[in-house]
Amino acid sequence: MPNLKPLKIGLVCPYGWDAPGGVQNHVRDLAEYLIAHGHKVSVLAPTLDEEALPEYVVSAGKPIPIPWNGAVARVLFGPIAFARVRQWIAQGDFDLLHLHEPAIPSISLLACWAAEGPMVGTFHAAAKKQKAIYAIGPILEPVIEKLNVRIAVSEAARATLSEHLETDAIVIPNGIYGSNFRNGTAQPQWSGQTIGFMGRFEEPRKGLSVLVDALSIVARFVPEIRVIIAGPGDTEEVLKKVDPQLRDRISFLGRLHEKEKADFLTSLTLYVAPNTGGESFGIILAEAMASGAAIVASDIPAFASLLGDGKYGALFANEDSTQLAHAIIDLLRDPAKRKALALAGQEHGKIFDWDTVAEQIFSVYQMAIVGGQKVGLASDNRSWTRLLGRDGQK
Amino acid sequence: MKSGLTFGILLLTSLWYLSFSATRLDRLHHRVETSWANLDGLLQRRAAVALEIAHSELIDPASSLILTAAAYQARDANMRDRSQAESSLSGALMLLQNEMSDETRSADAALLKELSDLTQKIRVGVSIHVDAVTRTRAVRKKLIFKLFRLAGTAPLPITYEFEDDAL
Repeated sequence: MPNLKPLKIGLVCPYGWDAPGGVQNHVRDLAEYLIAHGHKVSVLAPTLDEEALPEYVVSAGKPIPIPWNGAVARVLFGPIAFARVRQWIAQGDFDLLHLHEPAIPSISLLACWAAEGPMVGTFHAAAKKQKAIYAIGPILEPVIEKLNVRIAVSEAARATLSEHLETDAIVIPNGIYGSNFRNGTAQPQWSGQTIGFMGRFEEPRKGLSVLVDALSIVARFVPEIRVIIAGPGDTEEVLKKVDPQLRDRISFLGRLHEKEKADFLTSLTLYVAPNTGGESFGIILAEAMASGAAIVASDIPAFASLLGDGKYGALFANEDSTQLAHAIIDLLRDPAKRKALALAGQEHGKIFDWDTVAEQIFSVYQMAIVGGQKVGLASDNRSWTRLLGRDGQK
Repeated sequence: MKSGLTFGILLLTSLWYLSFSATRLDRLHHRVETSWANLDGLLQRRAAVALEIAHSELIDPASSLILTAAAYQARDANMRDRSQAESSLSGALMLLQNEMSDETRSADAALLKELSDLTQKIRVGVSIHVDAVTRTRAVRKKLIFKLFRLAGTAPLPITYEFEDDAL
């Protein structure tokens, strides 16, 4: 990142800071990267526990769990939250606001409504077209169009955005600290003929059942095969559905730490991502690539585009366990092919390194602040605040 | 009495909506200005780099002539002819890069690196600007904006056509 004038940047995270999630990780890494490069950063986020927060995070209040897009989202809205958002903006004296997921009902949307000046929005989610969006669209439109620049984390997220809100976006992928993964050490207990799977395996969309079905075919051809599953969840439920003869091939590790994650991915012979949908980016594939693991993934749009349509990892038809089994057997039996695939992936995976990603994001920031204007409360909000006798601009 | 109140509320709401819409359009115009200022700055820098390459004596006089002409044209073009002129400059730069020998490439690596960085940024700049223009034009087409002349005297933003593959 070129050393230019340090900026004062406000980041808004819509989801509860304490809960694990892709958006939270992205905001945290970005904030820490920007701070490390001399910029002043304040993150506004809903939080449960105000004590344990890093210095740069400001709490907007306690998150409220609501059902959203078939899952539970921990978001925050309401008049008190709105007042906090306005106060944060008025006191922040920011050069730029970077709002994450501004199209969901949380504080990013509130900030976009309340602020005026240079604003960048990042859209993470990819979803199918929904009827509800016809009702929400006209409300969101005038808010979202205040953003100077829209970023989508993947082609899938970009397509969702143009379908739902008829607006285009620049694609900048999510970042990972690639060197951590490139420096993983292979551990003997995870090496051999091993297939790895990572994630909350109880969620059907993670597709563990597809892998379990494929295992019965794979075991016939590669008897010494082992499946190692990392991630939180109820292991009994999974084992119940597995052929009793194959149960001893499956082991569970529970949730892994960052360091263990790199070692785990490096040790594996194959990493399998059988997700059946609902995935917008697939950060785990970027991490597996950096670790040098050969990948087999379902051909859902996010994965197909991340793996260069098969150049950096093998793809199989979504939910087709027979095809998955063939892809696994093929790669297990052909070490040269596997090695070539892993190397191609590791090389390509460098585009997800934070150094590259943050530089792209920062170049977008510079494009948004060309006018030299600062972030302030929008004129319609200023009068509203004055009318209520609350002075947000101390 | 009751109808008077309803009328009052209706009037207030429509007044608020009109003022809201006017602010909204004003912001959009501002967004177009910012995105154009950004793109314009990037394009000017590219023309400057192109001239520098043209004068660097690493290329033959004929290419230098073509490049100089294209760079000047791009710099002097008015708003309407700008995209055309910039596209010719892109074409000239691309020709040059394809023909350059490997030695020249390494001799002038810094300039070429700057050029490719700029090209990357221009690509982003164009898409940001195009989105701002399209949005503004779409909003200005809506009935309420036309009916109440909410755009005032602001000129309709010009669509900037940049051939993507020429970059």
